[in-house]
Amino acid sequence: MTLTLTDLDRDGAIREALENVGGDSRAGFLRKATVGSAALVGAIAATPTAAAATSRRDVAILNYALTLEYLQAAFYTEAEREGALRGKAARAAGVVGPVERAHVIAFRKALGKAAVKRPTFNFQGTTEDQGRFLETAVAFEDLAVAAYKAQAPRIQSPAILAVAVSIHSVEARHAAWMRRLVGILPAASPFDDGIDRAEAFRIVDATGFVTTSATTRAKGKPRFTG
Amino acid sequence: MPAVEPAAAPKPAAALPAAPPPAFAIPRPLPLVGSTDATRWAPLLRAVAVRSGPTEQAPVIETLGLKTPEGTSNLVPVLDRHQDRRGTLWLRVRAPALPDNVEGWVPRAALGGYNLVHTRLVVDLEQLQATLFSRGERVYDAPIGVGKADSPTPRGEFYIRNELRAYGSSFYGPIAFGTSARSRVLTDWPAGGFVGIHGTDRPDLLPGRVSHGCIRLRNADIVRLARLLPIGTPLTIQ
Repeated sequence: MTLTLTDLDRDGAIREALENVGGDSRAGFLRKATVGSAALVGAIAATPTAAAATSRRDVAILNYALTLEYLQAAFYTEAEREGALRGKAARAAGVVGPVERAHVIAFRKALGKAAVKRPTFNFQGTTEDQGRFLETAVAFEDLAVAAYKAQAPRIQSPAILAVAVSIHSVEARHAAWMRRLVGILPAASPFDDGIDRAEAFRIVDATGFVTTSATTRAKGKPRFTG
Repeated sequence: MPAVEPAAAPKPAAALPAAPPPAFAIPRPLPLVGSTDATRWAPLLRAVAVRSGPTEQAPVIETLGLKTPEGTSNLVPVLDRHQDRRGTLWLRVRAPALPDNVEGWVPRAALGGYNLVHTRLVVDLEQLQATLFSRGERVYDAPIGVGKADSPTPRGEFYIRNELRAYGSSFYGPIAFGTSARSRVLTDWPAGGFVGIHGTDRPDLLPGRVSHGCIRLRNADIVRLARLLPIGTPLTIQ
């Protein structure tokens, strides 16, 4: 069964934080955000860098970024594991995949218990077909670049903005690389537009790549031979 | 003549605040960790015909339903891939057919996302022992009960399909795993005569040749196995 990313954001924490800038929030979101902020502040304080006051909005933005990083990391990891790609596409997957996995690890560590869960994916053979892989990679990288760009001005902590910008430029390099492999101009316009969360989720949902997990447990009486 | 003091060098950078340090560090790229004992499986998205070759014209050797008799997702191990001239992807899978599981081809589009397991369960019918390997390392073994002479446990390559709990039957113990193995004798058994791996209300009979084909474990052993055995694990009965 295909899911939407909105389905995964069941309590609306990400949506609400991103849409209600500094506005009122529901009690459920406040509870989650309070725990999330505390966990994130703890994680950040434990690093050599200066501790940063982390707002609810910043936690939500980090979780939004983590969701997109899950998608990318799972995509490239499957492409690497399947081993169906060849030439420059295989090399790109082998370089970009480890980077996207590093992004996931960093966000999960920083968010701690506040991190959103990893969705289940079905990439429908796009990781096993040279042409479809590259087209999907371009779409994912362009999406990530536009999503980071749209959220950057909304990030309240300069320290978190520093992280986001450092990832944004890496994603932009990935986008240029994949575009080059497909034969699309890497940078054709002087300014790029951002994509807001609703549009980003709509694009991902339209792929049908986010699915429910298989049902592998049941409670019925066994009818095995005994 | 007074010395002319050199003009102070402009310091535009001094007027800018220091860049904030990042809130957290991004680790180095993480290479894929390989495994010599990894198995892929995928759930069916629809009922599908398993064909003898990767083409719509190949004979159908088995038809798989969307669900197992237990109501869980019907899943198959994925063994190989083929892309035909039109670009259609086909996957070679293992299917729970009689008398032994068969290998055949299904369209990639009939299956869901891949799952990966790094475990392998080996059932030794001579030694009456089950052994679980994880990433090639032995992590579990236990004495077992297997099929009697007139209802033997089938030998071959199979896989774990599902896990049942809370069904309220002391005969099967607290936990039962469904496998793709099927009795070659009890072919009219309800739900297809599938072989399970489960607990028992007669631990005194183990190890032994005591069952109708199922693999019985002491209840403490099946509980311990359930902590280690992911669905989709390949099962070798030898």
